[in-house]
Amino acid sequence: MGEIDADTFADRRYRTIEEILKASLRVRGRGELTISDMLDRVFLNRVLGIPIFLILMWATFQFAFAVSEPFMVMLERAFGWLGGLFGEAETPLVSFWSDGICGGLGFVMVFIFPIMFLFLALAILEDSGYLPRAAFVMDRLMYRCGLHGRSFIPLLMGFGCNLPAIMATRTIGDERDRLITILVNPLISCSARLPVYVLIAGAFFGAHAGTAIFLMYVLGIVLAIMMALLFRRVIPGLKGRPSPFLMELPPYRRPTGRSILLHMWSRAVVFLRKAGTILLGGAIILWFMSSFPWGADLGSSYAGMLGHLIEPIVRPLGFDWMGAVALFFGFLAKEIVVETFGILYGVGGEDEIMAAVAGHMTPVTGLAFMVFTLIYLPCLATLGTVRAETGSWKWTGFMVLYQLLLAYTVAGIVVITGNLVMGV
Amino acid sequence: MIIKVALIGNPNVGKTAIFNALTGSRQHVGNWPGVTVEKKEGRCTHRGAEMEVVDLPGIYSLTASSIDERIARNYIIKERPDVVVDIVDASNIERNLYLTLLLLELEANLIVALNMMDIAASKGYEFDTEKLSLLLGVPVIPTVATTHFGIRELKDAIIEAASGKNKRRKVTIGYGEDLETEIRRIEEMIMEDPHLSGTYPPRWLAIKILERDEEVIGILERYQKKDVLEVVGWEK
Repeated sequence: MGEIDADTFADRRYRTIEEILKASLRVRGRGELTISDMLDRVFLNRVLGIPIFLILMWATFQFAFAVSEPFMVMLERAFGWLGGLFGEAETPLVSFWSDGICGGLGFVMVFIFPIMFLFLALAILEDSGYLPRAAFVMDRLMYRCGLHGRSFIPLLMGFGCNLPAIMATRTIGDERDRLITILVNPLISCSARLPVYVLIAGAFFGAHAGTAIFLMYVLGIVLAIMMALLFRRVIPGLKGRPSPFLMELPPYRRPTGRSILLHMWSRAVVFLRKAGTILLGGAIILWFMSSFPWGADLGSSYAGMLGHLIEPIVRPLGFDWMGAVALFFGFLAKEIVVETFGILYGVGGEDEIMAAVAGHMTPVTGLAFMVFTLIYLPCLATLGTVRAETGSWKWTGFMVLYQLLLAYTVAGIVVITGNLVMGV
Repeated sequence: MIIKVALIGNPNVGKTAIFNALTGSRQHVGNWPGVTVEKKEGRCTHRGAEMEVVDLPGIYSLTASSIDERIARNYIIKERPDVVVDIVDASNIERNLYLTLLLLELEANLIVALNMMDIAASKGYEFDTEKLSLLLGVPVIPTVATTHFGIRELKDAIIEAASGKNKRRKVTIGYGEDLETEIRRIEEMIMEDPHLSGTYPPRWLAIKILERDEEVIGILERYQKKDVLEVVGWEK
């Protein structure tokens, strides 16, 4: 038999409703559109809806990147000055202060600004009532791709942090829908990955850095949708249609300054708390590993040994041992990737580190590195949450495995096509 | 005799307000068996008739995919309330009628409370309730729960419906010839099993099977209706 399913029935029911109402309901003053109706006609338009969503997201990243830049430079100079307080790093203690704390932790602190401004822009979109419309527009697309409409909210939350986003999947009633949403959620770029993009895109793509970052986010969404589709098709336990989803759209409102600032501030607090704990810990470990045995050059430090050990794995993608170390520790928290560069390149100051990045990578490997960072592994805390929410080591392990494979594949494609285009 | 009444409707349609208007202070809150979803019950007396009112969860649809929807539909199938009052937000009528059609399919003894008539009127909606009632085949009572407008009429309608004096023609929502052929085919297979067709409305089962409803497919597996499952390509 043909393609008869729940959708067909839903369609016919709405047709019946239309007929019933045509006969029993008269609307006075029909044709008078409210402003909200007019906005919805544009934002929810079948053709324009998704392009508008993409343009708004692109503008969001442009804004976050451009506005934060002067602030980043200022904070960086401040850390540069602090780091130089005790002169050249000749003793371990001075080196710890200037290379570990100011050069490592201080360097990653700078990225609080793009995060704050990104969430400022997202808060405006959310409070104005646009984001639920984006969810509605994406639902159409996602439903066709085998994701449940309610998945979009957790995916959207993933822009902030994948951990609460995965917990938010509890609102999805169907176990299969929920598992799929959990499995693909880490592909959504969380704010911890933003510093990596800002650093590398800034080093290679100049005025187009905002666009490059935006593309990482789009790539994340596209991969999430593709993988969801694949899992639905291929994994026996996950087959079936997603259940239909109805959502109510809140009215459009003028966002209040207070609520937007509050939103931005709460993100900043999350980041500061992370900086005071795991990023500080990461800085200490990395400083220690890169400075000891004391007096050895970087290549023969503990970090160097580790790096050379795992370098062969990522060598085909064009990453050197420092990139390997950065990715290794990035498993603890993605910001540590940037922190690692700060410490290993050991120069201090974003411009100099950007120059160092540009010296260690080509634009193609830089792009591949961004892609790899996007996909390769959820951070440790997220993985723990996945284990708790799925209650299964099997699915957790599966997630690690598929993401590593996918990261390697996509980054590989970037390297190959990039080199072809560049004529290398 | 106590009339068992179930209230059902989408979220945010004023269901709780209707519940309160019907039962006043005579209510208590418990849980649905086995789940932590709240179950509210209340009683009222009207024209000498005693009614027991159950507030079902606010839902948009009657699929098997969420706990709330399963509770609602299993209550209607298994407990067979004497009257089901579907509370409809008149100002969002299109979306709300979706659930109404599903309830008709479940062959519930239905009354539609067309609530929030004040808001609908402010949006310029003018209902021909008699016509609507005719098309749906069930009584339609306009209400404004917040001001208790129409509550007396609703209670009257409940008593009338419970007494079986509802003379309205039974309406079947048609799905078009292509789907109806399939529905009839499966319905006939279901009718062969008197116990199955006595427990569940056969047409509803047929539609749910075509919709690939997991719970219903489970029911057919229990009844070992292999022929039906084969029709929809369901193999174990």
